[in-house]
Amino acid sequence: MKKIFLFLILSVLLSVSVVAQEQSTSPGYKPSSYYTFAWNTLWTIGDFNKWVGNGSPAGFNFGGRYFIPGTNFAAGFNIQWQRVWQDYPQQTFYGDNGVALTAVNYRFTWMVPFQAAIDYYFIPSKMISPYISLGIGGDYMEHHLLIQELDIYKTYWDFSLTPEIGALIKFGAFSNFGAQIAFNYKWTTNQINFSNNDKFKNLQMLQLRVGLCYLLR
Amino acid sequence: MRFFKLTLLAAGFLSLASCSKYPPLSSRLLEDLAVLTQYDVNTNFGQYKTFSMVDSISYISDKSTKKILDAQAKAVLTRIAQDLTSRGYQEVAKSTNPDLGINVSAIEVTNVTAYYPGWYWGYPGYYPPDWWGYPGNSYYYPYYPTYYTSYSSGTLSIEMVNFKKINPKGQIPVVWNAFIRGLLTGTHTTVDITNSIDQSFAQTPVLKTSL
Repeated sequence: MKKIFLFLILSVLLSVSVVAQEQSTSPGYKPSSYYTFAWNTLWTIGDFNKWVGNGSPAGFNFGGRYFIPGTNFAAGFNIQWQRVWQDYPQQTFYGDNGVALTAVNYRFTWMVPFQAAIDYYFIPSKMISPYISLGIGGDYMEHHLLIQELDIYKTYWDFSLTPEIGALIKFGAFSNFGAQIAFNYKWTTNQINFSNNDKFKNLQMLQLRVGLCYLLR
Repeated sequence: MRFFKLTLLAAGFLSLASCSKYPPLSSRLLEDLAVLTQYDVNTNFGQYKTFSMVDSISYISDKSTKKILDAQAKAVLTRIAQDLTSRGYQEVAKSTNPDLGINVSAIEVTNVTAYYPGWYWGYPGYYPPDWWGYPGNSYYYPYYPTYYTSYSSGTLSIEMVNFKKINPKGQIPVVWNAFIRGLLTGTHTTVDITNSIDQSFAQTPVLKTSL
């Protein structure tokens, strides 16, 4: 799994740097702002991966960025919707007060992250503009443990940090439409706490986002 | 532009299709048996030696209540006794004043919402304290029991009562209970049920005598 992520990161970096060099003399414009609607895929890592081991493509992201005049910086927001899930064979959970439960169980986490973000674009006026970004915000998460017809769930709000690399790709030098590809790591203060043998803290994840953009001049 | 619009439309549909909070569920979730147990953490199970079993399974439903003793019921009672014996307890006749008593019920009730634990004790067919030789007494849980609010999936209930700790109110404590749920969903063999009984003991390691 680590190799795949490393490969993805290197691929993004290499491709954006190579194309950026090729495009360095090409015409273009620096947008004043842009909006994205993207498909988001998430892989759980760390403790989160012990709760749900599967990655999930069930997510989307809506974002907006506003370029700070005279700089290569843009500030904006991301709002997301995401779900990860996995079914497990018979497992035993031990709770308080002598309670134990053995059952097939189905776990899923549904999350609605919202973050403020600051980006730095290396060549914002070019057709392909790689960037680095840091998102700071929070998440609303619902962790569900389904056993038979029972739906036991807990909800948590958290604080989260998301360093990201990506590229903004215009469909033409002067096009108002484009695409975005981004890869990020997210650290949260969220937790899962259902039983004595299932306590997970500081949920972390890796995310790949691919979407479409509408750019304003 | 046309490509962009189509792609945007497709992305929109994809996103909307995945908008449901709940993912597609596995059918095994309802079909497999679940084993829920709870014991009184203040009870020292090691200090007891003898137990006695009910002589049939109380079958409790919305429509009727009865006692059953078919081949499957016998297999269930036998396996419970075997599991207790394997933990050092000794089965004796109820007339010999056992330390512990085992009540077993099969529950098929729908639309159960918020009953106090032991709600089915009032049902005809259930083994009341009188049957054990304690007329005028009642059962109670010394712990706040974890229980399901619906028994529509079919539940086998096993309760261990402690005749040595009857309180001044005449209440006999239930010191361990097991719910094996899902009997009416999916297809379950007697082996599935007896394996679940084994599991109910396996997940309660304190349930063994030191005498």
